[in-house]
Amino acid sequence: MTEAEFRSAFEQNKDAVYRFAWRMAGSAEAAEDIAQEAFLTLLRQPMRFDPARGSMRNFLLAIARNLALKRWREEHRFDELEDQAVMPSADLENRETAGAVGAAVALLPHLQREVLILAEYEELSLEEIARAVDAEVGTVKSRLFRARENLRRVLAPLREGRRLTHGTSK
Amino acid sequence: MELLSEKELNDLLRRWEAPAAPPTLAAKVLPRRSSWRWVLAGTIRVPVPVGLALLAAMAALLLLRPQPRPAATAPVKPVSLADFQPVRQLEPRIIRRANESN
Repeated sequence: MTEAEFRSAFEQNKDAVYRFAWRMAGSAEAAEDIAQEAFLTLLRQPMRFDPARGSMRNFLLAIARNLALKRWREEHRFDELEDQAVMPSADLENRETAGAVGAAVALLPHLQREVLILAEYEELSLEEIARAVDAEVGTVKSRLFRARENLRRVLAPLREGRRLTHGTSK
Repeated sequence: MELLSEKELNDLLRRWEAPAAPPTLAAKVLPRRSSWRWVLAGTIRVPVPVGLALLAAMAALLLLRPQPRPAATAPVKPVSLADFQPVRQLEPRIIRRANESN
């Protein structure tokens, strides 16, 4: 990969990779670290990218996903990746709608959160998500369904014209 | 509490926007370009019409420039050895001053 090709890949995909990392990690600092490492991985090992297996954007998102998962595991050694119960947080009460949605997504188990973000915000297909997270399409579909069900329940107090109340969503 | 409908959930999800990548990311990721490196290995994109016009202008300059006139110099006279005569007196005669002894 030439320097010009790398610059082009960076310019075309930096926002998507950063956005994904920001939503996954929940902080600008962590998002920048993850995005930086994703692009440096491409720079060091360009041969890992195979155009036949998907776009450059999806490849970089998959790297960012792995980095976010690694970081999450280092910070949450004893938490479940998938099956933890999602409880509404009282903290949502005082947030504006956008912040409350972000906080609700952050409550999701990690593996549900990543498929939700890749599907809803990065608009990847189920097959593309399956490749990115190295899982079966059926598994991805199931995680996405459960993520949306959790959010429908947790965010119900945000229904138009209503405010969040403590512990009313279970 | 009644769950959100699919449409309500989609509407809410759309309101959570993420920022674009900060400029500092480019500074950390992209290799720096030094001016010396650019001078030695940089490239410049020139549109084809501009390039052709430049080439035509250079060709015209080369073809139409005034040819330098050769400087006026005196014709060189050919050297002839006809006037050279062999030395006739091969025995040199030494002439001394009168007050010089030997």
